[in-house]
Amino acid sequence: MPAADSHLHPTRPKAPAEAIARPRVGVAKLTSCDGCQLTILDLEDHLLEIAAAFEIVEFPEATSNRSSGPYDVLLVEGSVSTPEQVEWITELRRRAGILVTIGACATAGGIQALRNWGNEPAWRASVYPRPELLETLATSTAISDHVVVDAELRGCPIDPHQLLELLASLRVGRRPQLADEAVCLACKRRGTVCVVVAEGIPCLGPVTQTGCGAICPAFGRGCYACFGPKEQANVESLAAWFAEHGVDETSVPRLFAGFTAYAPPFREQAERATRHAHGQKERTDA
Amino acid sequence: MVTGAAEARFLPRSQLQVLIDLLAEDGRRVIGPTVADGAVVYDEVRSPDDLPVGLRDEQAPGSYRLVETGTPRVFDVTVGMTSWKRYTFPPIVPLTRASREDGHLSLESSAETPELLAFLGVRGCELAALRVQDRVLAGGPFVDTDYLDRRQSSLVVAAQCTRAAKTCFCTSMGTGPEAGEGADLVLTELDDGFLVESRSPMGDQLLDRLPADLAEPAQQTAARLAVAATRESIGNPVATEGLHDRLLDALDSPRWQEVADRCLACANCTLVCPTCFCTSVTQRADLDTSTIVAERSWDSCFTAGFAKVAGGSFRSRRQDRYRQWLTHKFATWIDQFGTSGCVGCGRCISWCPVGIDVREELEAIAPPAEGLRKHPQLAGGTGPATYSIGTIRSIAAETADTYSLVIDGIDPTITNGTPGQFLMVEQPGFPAFPISISRYGLDHVVLTVRAAGPATSHLVHSEPGTEIGLRGPLGVGWPVERALGRDVVIATGGIGLAPLRPLIDALVSARDRFGRVRLHYGARTPRDMLYTDELASWPELGIEVALTVDRAGPEWLGRVGVVTQLFDQDDWRGQPAVAYLCGPERMMQVAVRTVGERGIPAERTFVSLERHMECGIGLCGHCQMGKVFVCRDGPVFSVAQLGDALNVEGL
Repeated sequence: MPAADSHLHPTRPKAPAEAIARPRVGVAKLTSCDGCQLTILDLEDHLLEIAAAFEIVEFPEATSNRSSGPYDVLLVEGSVSTPEQVEWITELRRRAGILVTIGACATAGGIQALRNWGNEPAWRASVYPRPELLETLATSTAISDHVVVDAELRGCPIDPHQLLELLASLRVGRRPQLADEAVCLACKRRGTVCVVVAEGIPCLGPVTQTGCGAICPAFGRGCYACFGPKEQANVESLAAWFAEHGVDETSVPRLFAGFTAYAPPFREQAERATRHAHGQKERTDA
Repeated sequence: MVTGAAEARFLPRSQLQVLIDLLAEDGRRVIGPTVADGAVVYDEVRSPDDLPVGLRDEQAPGSYRLVETGTPRVFDVTVGMTSWKRYTFPPIVPLTRASREDGHLSLESSAETPELLAFLGVRGCELAALRVQDRVLAGGPFVDTDYLDRRQSSLVVAAQCTRAAKTCFCTSMGTGPEAGEGADLVLTELDDGFLVESRSPMGDQLLDRLPADLAEPAQQTAARLAVAATRESIGNPVATEGLHDRLLDALDSPRWQEVADRCLACANCTLVCPTCFCTSVTQRADLDTSTIVAERSWDSCFTAGFAKVAGGSFRSRRQDRYRQWLTHKFATWIDQFGTSGCVGCGRCISWCPVGIDVREELEAIAPPAEGLRKHPQLAGGTGPATYSIGTIRSIAAETADTYSLVIDGIDPTITNGTPGQFLMVEQPGFPAFPISISRYGLDHVVLTVRAAGPATSHLVHSEPGTEIGLRGPLGVGWPVERALGRDVVIATGGIGLAPLRPLIDALVSARDRFGRVRLHYGARTPRDMLYTDELASWPELGIEVALTVDRAGPEWLGRVGVVTQLFDQDDWRGQPAVAYLCGPERMMQVAVRTVGERGIPAERTFVSLERHMECGIGLCGHCQMGKVFVCRDGPVFSVAQLGDALNVEGL
């Protein structure tokens, strides 16, 4: 079992003992929307290269060919949210040489981790007519909460350039260059005017790990942290600043209750947001 | 300075387009302030309409807004978010391209021939920033040729500032608002146009071709006054004198942690800084690694990766990174490059998403010593070498053999002394003796004297009204300023409290500028304690007092033991603290060791020494102690200054 915050510091893939000519690659999914798999398919200009370099043996969004492994490299999207998945990911870990989790669900529990603060049986009953037929966990958690992970690609969805870099690094057995710095560096290199400073827009870029290319601020909106917390993320300071500068105090924690809400540095804020929402609901009920 | 020969001209506002066209003539792209997404960024300017016409920037910590002014002025904005660094030292520069074909490796440089640029509207602080980067990147043994090429391909038209933002502090850094060296042309905006001055042969050529008449004296005066008013409005927000040493002396300041509680380590300050030059090289490989492109991109000492080695980052905490940045910018930069790394443009203040103000942090971390008593000027008729006359106003017993004498009618030079300084006291017929000043009043001083010999006995038994000769204040006293922003521990015994009392007075007078203050005081018996009323009242003034005696009487309910034992009771960690020690040499040796073990460095542990003194000015030779004259170089020394001398028997 890895440390609870292991997904803060992406572990690096092990160099293969000897270079494998054409590694067997699998893509698997747990609880997710398949968007990260689609990002792989979006690498249209590189698909032939990828297929030449890797033997894709399992990829639900791309092929009906199945393989139960073993895999030299296994990319897994999605969070762990059912008892079955707890066993499944343990089994997948056994079959994978290098296990790479991809996307906000796999690396932080995803948007569905908001349920971790809710009343799971009540929700289940409100959605399904026969909730007793369903087996589900009360929580949606990152894969690294369950098995050791060799590398992580963050994001909702993942960034295609980071994926290519990961694949290129796997080819030669070097460390992928996945920066753990703030989104702000990408904004400044791009020359994007800071939306926090110039417009007072709450933006989570300063506490969010880079990798997306700072897309949202370039379009005049705040970063919503789909890449999750950067190392040394000072969530408290940023939240306090927003609260002091025009963001409604109850809205501040809600900013963090997004795609990576259950990642530890965001968790406390997100918990406040959900507590607040639940408090309101109870009042409505009464 | 290369100064053009041509005289200042006046370019009417309507002719600004001509200047832009002239700059662009030989294929140069003109870069100047433009407006994008609510802020000024430096981008291509083809006509005056591209400039921030009728706009003013309102900058504050963590905030930047453009405000309409309704005037046709174009340079009422100060510095933009981007700096010219974007063009002279771009965010991403391709370095090399490596490819492997048939087993052969080829490496080629990706260096580009830089495009010709003209910078329009470079501020004084920004010119200074270019000079700083010139030194850093092109002034050392190794030259960044990409930078040099780009610098040499750019023409510089400066704009002197006729207004300042609230975040500006160029005046403190000596970089503006006037345009210093490095410009070809210098503009100063007036209501109806621009005063244009040439500063280079290139500037002369441009000036000759401008449709601009010689400037009227009134126009020149108006320009000068406008810039002077800007200087006035900025004031001098950062005390730079001694800042290098003050900052490096504060590496263990508790404030680093406080600022780290707010700092996001997001790196914005460094990337908007016009002088920050740190970069990292990344390699981008294609899937089969046949081609690898190496690029250099802006990096920052605020990222973990910047100081990472196998095993982790050398600066894993935000406080480490903030300290690295601030001490480099304002102190070690000077050691490395002979210039401060800060030009006072204020970008790091405005563009910090949580508004951390470097001016405030400098004040808190490395406070200037102003406002505290300074070493008096030694010029004039009175002072070290000359006696003045004082009158004994009153004599009060402190203990069985120690008395406090109020001396008035004295020369102001004496009342202007510093805590820890001493006077030579002259009574006709007796040898002169040194005595510490135990309190400074506006028109008097207090001397606390133990009747230890004939001269001192004679003094304490004088009648009020007796005149005595005084020479001083002499020596180097307690460096109170070293305690700014820090915890203070004072340990002393017996009459050793006397020279420390003015120090305590100084701490009390500016109590909120210091951290916790503790006084550890010991005496042989309770009756040997000085200033007992004050010992009782100091706690109300924020001085924690711990007392101990060697031998207690029936009335003593406090501690018994030596002074240094008082440290054992305490929960403090001494690391960010300052220690002031005075007492018998044996006691100080133990106290020095004790505070050293608690983490107070020798540089911040100060002792006051006693030696036979006659002249008080290092000329008679009596008070030598190793390398120092105690009277002239002391009596207060840092333990670091003394080295081992304190522990050498009989030195």
